[in-house]
Amino acid sequence: MIKEFYFALYAIKKNIQNSAELRVSFLINIIGMSINNTAFIILWIFFVKSVGVINGWVAMDIIGLLGFGALSYGIVFSIGAGIRKLADYVATGIFDRFMLSPKNLLIRTATSFFSVSALGDIVFGVVCLVIYIISIHATIYQILLIGLLVIISVIVFLTAIITIYSMSFFFVDANLVTGSLFELFLTPSLFHGGAFQGVMRFIFTFIIPSLLIGALPVEIVRDVSLEKLLLVGSLAIFWFIISISIFNRAVKKYESSNFITFGN
Amino acid sequence: MKEARLAIKIFKTLFQDCIQYPNRFIVDTIGILARCGILLILYSYVFKLRDGVINNTTFLFVAWSIFFYFSFSILKLRDISKEIMQDVQKGNIEILFSKPIFYLSYRIWWQIGLGIYSFVIITLSMIIALIFIIGLPPTMTIGIFIPTLILTFLCGIILSLFLYTIIGLLSFWIEDINPIFWIVDKTVMILGGSYLPIALFPTFMFKIALWSPFGASQFVTHTVYETWQTNWYQLIEIQLFWIVLLGLVVYFIFKKAKQKISVNGG
Repeated sequence: MIKEFYFALYAIKKNIQNSAELRVSFLINIIGMSINNTAFIILWIFFVKSVGVINGWVAMDIIGLLGFGALSYGIVFSIGAGIRKLADYVATGIFDRFMLSPKNLLIRTATSFFSVSALGDIVFGVVCLVIYIISIHATIYQILLIGLLVIISVIVFLTAIITIYSMSFFFVDANLVTGSLFELFLTPSLFHGGAFQGVMRFIFTFIIPSLLIGALPVEIVRDVSLEKLLLVGSLAIFWFIISISIFNRAVKKYESSNFITFGN
Repeated sequence: MKEARLAIKIFKTLFQDCIQYPNRFIVDTIGILARCGILLILYSYVFKLRDGVINNTTFLFVAWSIFFYFSFSILKLRDISKEIMQDVQKGNIEILFSKPIFYLSYRIWWQIGLGIYSFVIITLSMIIALIFIIGLPPTMTIGIFIPTLILTFLCGIILSLFLYTIIGLLSFWIEDINPIFWIVDKTVMILGGSYLPIALFPTFMFKIALWSPFGASQFVTHTVYETWQTNWYQLIEIQLFWIVLLGLVVYFIFKKAKQKISVNGG
């Protein structure tokens, strides 16, 4: 297990070094993504100004929501962007390479690609959470809670993308299907959390775990709710087990494309 | 005539492609349900909380305005930037330049053809569904509505294509145009009235949306409001102004880009 962890760290380090070689492109991608993300802040702050407070959600909560969302997105896609390429790997037969590797299949696949723009998401997410912490005058307890919830959000995000991209083994034109499912998961996580009530809240908490990424963590920090923390934590563990099981089952469906390639 | 033949040929090819691969249509449908459907449900809840009126607008107008934005997005016109970038990065541009067709016109027709099939079917189905679920606002039943909607829709297509073609052409100079694409795309998203409909815009933001090419490319979202009946010609004039200006920019950038190209062979 420790060996696998060291391998993952080594692969991530090499990925970063590789991407950083194109310095200008590297920096522009990070800055561009950070600016790009501010669009959502602008949108939802104007929404709050026009509509007013909904179920206790104010403008600062939106910044917290986007902070959690961007940070978990950024961390997952900077260390494990390879999962997002699973559909391509399966369709082109590149997945053979990972299956033949003596390393853990999921870690090997996840760390096979690095998304530079995801670093922009991390920068954006950290800035948003710092603004959120300052604006709500967070106590030490709330700051620690934010740290814990970032870890939980990352786990939920990771498990969601593992589940979604495992579908690559079941469909022929999987790129489009997985892309759509990912959008179905991601889009609600960027929406105003206070507007999700009743059936919608149930669906996007228990069936599609979009609200576990940002909306519920913000409510936990704001209300210091241990009940919700337990719920989010339990769901994260549940989804983690489910996603690994789905991935392992999905891999069994893989049939090598038998392309004659030379390691490309 | 040659241009029309090229367009028909591309449309025919892509139509057959759509029939052959129905997955894409399903994916587009899931995509619009994920974004537009969820957003409409949320807005209906928010309007109910505020007794049905926010900023002197009701949910009926807002829902149709948001729907028009997302319906327009099914055309995927913005993807022309990435297509041009890929042509440049992969070297396809050399092959396409050597063909007896005008590269930009090929890319533009291809982009329209790629989304038209999903656009027609999903938009028609969604219109019927919306009429049954929430009904039609009175502004959409007056005689002037459909002709002006079509006019502003066509102008929006041309303007969007020019806007995103300019970004795509920058890939002749910049290695990765994605960061620029993201910023322009999000500006269009904000000023076009996607997640926040234009009826809820603050005054200064509404002015920016009105006078910038980013907002002008999505004037289709303005058509459902009462103000459209009195100022539609002014908005279409703004669109025409931007079309001419951005058209000239596309022409000059493309001219420069052609000089920039280096054929490596292989």
